Amino acid sequence: MAEEDRQRRWRRRRFANLRSVRWRIDLGILPASPGASVDELRRAAADSRRRYVSLRRRLMVDPHLPKEEDRSSNLVVDNPLSQNPDSSWGRFFRGAELEKTVDQDLSRLYPEDGSYFQTPSCQAMLRRILLMWCLQHPECGYRQGMHELLAPLVYVLQVDIDKLSQVRKLHEDCFNDDFDGVAFPDTDMLFSYKPRKDSNWHSRADNGDDSESASRVNTLDELDLDTKEIISLSDAYGAEGELGIVLSERFMEHDAYSMFDGLMDGGSGVVCMAEFFSTSKVGSSSSLAPVIEASASLFHLLSIVEPSLHSHFIELDVEPQYFALRWLRVLFGREFCLDDLLVVWDEVFACSNDMLLRENEECNFKILCSSRGAFIAAMAVSMILHLRSSLLATEINTLCLQRLLNFPNNVDVHKLIEKAKSLQSTAIDANTLSPSLLSKKDSCDYDRVYSNLATSTPPRTPLHPLAESYWEEQWRNLHNDGTALKESDNKGLSYKRSLKQSLSQRLGLSRTESDPSPVKVVSVNNDARNSVRRCLLNSYSDKVVQSNEVIGKFEQDKFPIVSIHKETILSSERSSQLKLKAASENLTVSPPPSVAKFNPLIDSPVKPADESSAKRTEDCSSGENSPVFYTARAGNEHENCHDNDSEKSSITSNSCAGDDYRDEVLPDESSSCNCEDKTVSEAIESGANVGQTRPLEKTMVPNERKPFINKLQWLLRFGRPSAEGNVVEKGSGQASSDGKHDAVPPCPSPADASSDNSCSGINLAYGDNKKVMGTLKNIGQNMLENIQVIETAFQQDRAQPSAMENLSNNILGGKGQVTAMAALTELRKISNLLREM
Amino acid sequence: MVLVLALGDLHIPHRAPDLPAKFKSMLVPGKIQHIICTGNLCIKEVHDYLKSLCPDLHITRGEHDEDARYPETKTLTIGQFKLGLCHGHQVVPWGDLDSLAMLQRQLDVDILVTGHTHQFKAYKHEGGVVINPGSATGAYSSITYDVNPSFVLMDIDGLRVVVYVYELIDGEVKVDKIDFKKTATMHG
Repeated sequence: MAEEDRQRRWRRRRFANLRSVRWRIDLGILPASPGASVDELRRAAADSRRRYVSLRRRLMVDPHLPKEEDRSSNLVVDNPLSQNPDSSWGRFFRGAELEKTVDQDLSRLYPEDGSYFQTPSCQAMLRRILLMWCLQHPECGYRQGMHELLAPLVYVLQVDIDKLSQVRKLHEDCFNDDFDGVAFPDTDMLFSYKPRKDSNWHSRADNGDDSESASRVNTLDELDLDTKEIISLSDAYGAEGELGIVLSERFMEHDAYSMFDGLMDGGSGVVCMAEFFSTSKVGSSSSLAPVIEASASLFHLLSIVEPSLHSHFIELDVEPQYFALRWLRVLFGREFCLDDLLVVWDEVFACSNDMLLRENEECNFKILCSSRGAFIAAMAVSMILHLRSSLLATEINTLCLQRLLNFPNNVDVHKLIEKAKSLQSTAIDANTLSPSLLSKKDSCDYDRVYSNLATSTPPRTPLHPLAESYWEEQWRNLHNDGTALKESDNKGLSYKRSLKQSLSQRLGLSRTESDPSPVKVVSVNNDARNSVRRCLLNSYSDKVVQSNEVIGKFEQDKFPIVSIHKETILSSERSSQLKLKAASENLTVSPPPSVAKFNPLIDSPVKPADESSAKRTEDCSSGENSPVFYTARAGNEHENCHDNDSEKSSITSNSCAGDDYRDEVLPDESSSCNCEDKTVSEAIESGANVGQTRPLEKTMVPNERKPFINKLQWLLRFGRPSAEGNVVEKGSGQASSDGKHDAVPPCPSPADASSDNSCSGINLAYGDNKKVMGTLKNIGQNMLENIQVIETAFQQDRAQPSAMENLSNNILGGKGQVTAMAALTELRKISNLLREM
Repeated sequence: MVLVLALGDLHIPHRAPDLPAKFKSMLVPGKIQHIICTGNLCIKEVHDYLKSLCPDLHITRGEHDEDARYPETKTLTIGQFKLGLCHGHQVVPWGDLDSLAMLQRQLDVDILVTGHTHQFKAYKHEGGVVINPGSATGAYSSITYDVNPSFVLMDIDGLRVVVYVYELIDGEVKVDKIDFKKTATMHG
């Protein structure tokens, strides 16, 4: 440290007014040893410039320049439309794209200091330097902010060159003195030497004694040392010739590139600005971005120096990289104006970038391993402490970050630097604290950093109101769902009420049904469902009519008074009237199907049904007249019940529903029994009807056949002449002869047989007249007897249908057929006998 | 440095389906600053495709172009050079050097770009340069047998123009380069 301090003092004393030379020494471009001579500085400068020229020659691609290689093979690969990225045209186009990107940033560089940085020459120089560096380091490429690191370096060089030009103007004699010291034998050089003398002489003559006194004063003042340094550094005939001039406008681009490269690469030191622009470092074990690690070191140092502010940042979820990223990448370039920034960078570059710790020692943050890195961290903490009161007053992290990212303009930089110097030693010591304490604190810091990197969640504070609104909406949705459920419950209740009304109406009917006789019960419950529905419909429709009739009765009765006793009597009468009404309605239901059944078949059975229905309808009309008043009153009571139900609470409504269920059980059972009885009676009636129809149909056919047969027989026997009788006999004879012929085997020929048959028939007729007449009489009697048997059978069938059932009818029909068949068989025997005769 | 693409006689879809795939892969947007087309695009889709490569598109009318708005001849100035554009079916005899020289003098241009013969030609004449980029699709022509697809890319830089000739021969792209320099005598 002592040696470093001595070196710094020496440097400041030696090049206090030449910042560009001092920075080049600090960045490692010019030799930093105190014993370095001017010649060594010149040689180092010349070497750095030569490296830049070779680099530019290699990287700056001009596809227009011709090449000596084979033309045809080269053109296929290297042409303006080539797809090969390694071709000169490919590199040219990539450079063109990079140039566009850089130009966008350069156009916005220090707009307030537009007098210098926005000039075309300066813009062109900055563009070339950035392009060269980016093409030289393709792994890093160009990142926004690099132009802000380069600009102050160029500015410093320009300032020193301006100083040189001023010195040259003031002390032209000194430069000439150097030339006087050198002897030139050539005549040309002598010629050039003479005009300079003349010019000197003219200046002396013009100025007179004043100029002489001024020059004397300069030689005597302390500035003479600086002037001599400038003159020696700028001697065109010194070491390395013109290339070795340390302050040279011609080589400003070369020097700026060297300084920029030294700053970005760190000169193999700890602080490497290029790492702040890279997202990850390959060799590091923590796998954190170097800029984030450096940001964490700021909080670590802040936690040691100002724990309350550190905890305040943690409470507000202010992460260091939110503001430190910009501070570190451009090295506070935007936080200070250009003049103050140069003062800060003087201190930054004055610190050594060499590793302070030995290999054995452990370091927690890489940036704090060198004086320069420690100073940078201390400077950042000093700036934070400058805003301490305003930062502690903020309650939202966004306001806190605004304070940090909008650093106040009018700040005493020297105070901040003094504070940073005092904190620098603390930072270096913090880097080598005891392992236990460091492990705890570092684990906390790294855990937060890791959690942020891993989860990548934004700060909590902005989401808080959104979260509240979200859950509030959820709660509102749940509340609405609850109200919807309640509404559905209400609808259910209303449905139950409507059911109650219908059930209460049923109750009246069911209660009345229990009283009447079984016959009426059967009729009432014949069609339970249909009857109930029709009753309801009739009751509703009749209410209007009945109300009118009631009005009429009131007028007739002259407002009769009703007492409690009368009400009970009226209720009993009402029940009886309801019974009659129900019976009438049910009876009206039964006739239509029976009428439909009988009408198309036979008219006679329909008549008694119609008469019975007519009588019943008369009963209905008489019944309807009397109960009008009572049914109207019943309707009114139903309405009253409805009002009461609406007024009751949910609990009572449930109890009422229970009552309804209890009442419903009884009428259902009774109605089911009655329905069964009714169906049985109907079946019996339908069976009787069917029986009636069938025997009538059967009796029709035999009546028609019988007289026809009788007429034929009588006509055949008595009405016709004897000749017809002979004809009949001949017919029978022929039949018998046919039989004989078939029986006789020895016929000689068919013609002979036929003639024989006819002769034999005639012979029989003439020979046996008397015997034949007798046999015929017997045959006739037998036929008459058989016919009588058949007639008796049909007469028995005709008599039965009036009283017998279906089964008996079927049996009797079978018997008749049997007897008829027997008679027919006998008739066939008779016919056979006649054929034989 | 200005890159100018010169092509023509595509005859899509009548005589050729499309540009060769290798040509299409080379013609990418963003590199070429101007396109000059001698004509016979025939349909609007080809015009739209060329427009997508480069918005500055100059076209003259061929005898098969549907769009009647294209002019017969066109002149434009790029850098220090004046370029003239014509399809060439109007110049009789077709492809004759003297006739083309006459047209060049008539238009008073340094570089005359013409077509119709479907064959690449580039030769220096007394007063300037005459370039025929050929047919970009290798379409059939009654004048030239065995047409090879070809187009021209001109690199204009100051008073110097480098003509790159891209020709598709046996499925491979051949590139050739011809240098022309504008001299003071051209003005006279």
